[in-house]
Amino acid sequence: MGPSLAFSTAEELRKAGNSYFKKGFFNAAIEAYTEAITLCPDIPVYYTNRALCHLKRNDWTRVEEDSRKAIQLEHNLVKAHYMLGLALLQKQEYADGVKELERALDLGRGANPKGYMVEEIWQELAKAKYMEWEDLSSKRSWELQNLKEACENALKEKHDAFEMEGFLDEAGPTHMRQLEALGRVFEKAAEADTPSEVPDYLCCKITLDIFRDPVITPSGVTYERSVILNHLEKVGNFDPITREPLDQSQLIPNFSIKEAVEAYLQEHGWAYRTE
Amino acid sequence: MTSSSASGRKTLSKIACNRLQKELLEWQVNPPAGFKHKVTDNLQRWVIEVNGAPGTLYSNETYQLQVDFPEHYPMEAPQVIFIPPAPLHPHIYSNGHICLDILYDSWSPAMTVSSICISILSMLSSSTMKQRPEDNDRYVKNCRNGRSPKETRWWFHDDKV
Repeated sequence: MGPSLAFSTAEELRKAGNSYFKKGFFNAAIEAYTEAITLCPDIPVYYTNRALCHLKRNDWTRVEEDSRKAIQLEHNLVKAHYMLGLALLQKQEYADGVKELERALDLGRGANPKGYMVEEIWQELAKAKYMEWEDLSSKRSWELQNLKEACENALKEKHDAFEMEGFLDEAGPTHMRQLEALGRVFEKAAEADTPSEVPDYLCCKITLDIFRDPVITPSGVTYERSVILNHLEKVGNFDPITREPLDQSQLIPNFSIKEAVEAYLQEHGWAYRTE
Repeated sequence: MTSSSASGRKTLSKIACNRLQKELLEWQVNPPAGFKHKVTDNLQRWVIEVNGAPGTLYSNETYQLQVDFPEHYPMEAPQVIFIPPAPLHPHIYSNGHICLDILYDSWSPAMTVSSICISILSMLSSSTMKQRPEDNDRYVKNCRNGRSPKETRWWFHDDKV
């Protein structure tokens, strides 16, 4: 069989695989893609399609294998990085999984900032980050709680010793003040891990949500990219706040805000909460 | 009449839901002066009590606004009407419809329920005459089939009031 015949046969098998997939016959689809791969082992889409079937069957080891193979053939495939990220998270390989999802998000935004893939990838990424925060913050809070109790006990011992020596009048108020100060110090220490409100300057004036992909207009106002694009398409060609004329081509990424958001999320992981 | 226009509406999109939850939260912390949100479990329809500002024609009067949000809020304006009896005002019809540009042609997704409320209160406060719009009877008659004010082709009376 010549190379061109091999390719056209493989393409037929891919199409068959796709139609099995749509009907939910994942095993049949896997077989079709596997045959296609045997004929033409260098076509990345055969691997990503098969990976998606494995994903539907929760066969994460194979999802990882096929995604890696696809990335080897073509390094900037959004879907491959996305599925690899999910597979790694399933294996509890947290840091690498997040890295893959972030890569997928960057690539996805480059290709189609309003696409459903971008939203889906963000949701998964935020979920993973939020879970990490829950885990780490509960450890931190446990640690602080123990330390606080130890400090309170130490203060109490000191106070009791004073009392025994007969310095009652002075020791009482000092002891109370120290306990209060201690409480404040520990409250301060827990602040970053206490869910509250994201500052307004890190939130889009339309979504009222923390920025993901901020862009700035010539009026100097920053918006969430997908939402301002939607506004320009559906509502009108003007800046929603200043009402100055605005065209899509005038939108510029706001990297400073993006970095500020990243720094904020690093410190306040609870802000990844998506609902 | 007030509910028929909203009966066929679609449920809120995820973006709309998210944004309204944030608006409600902000409202609870920091409500606009003179307004009170009536607590319900319906995110898609808010009923808001308005108190006329002191020192204006409407002081000591209380009215109710009904705000219905479309599926694609805030890319689309909410429908805002007074639940009759509506205040006597040159831009407010007896059926509760309000002639205010930001609710229709001049809507911007950067506006919020809170900013709409402030605009409506300022419209009331700046009024010098308690009367209905000149075309009140004709307009209200035309709306008898339950038409939403968002389907009206508004000709805005003037920009100052």
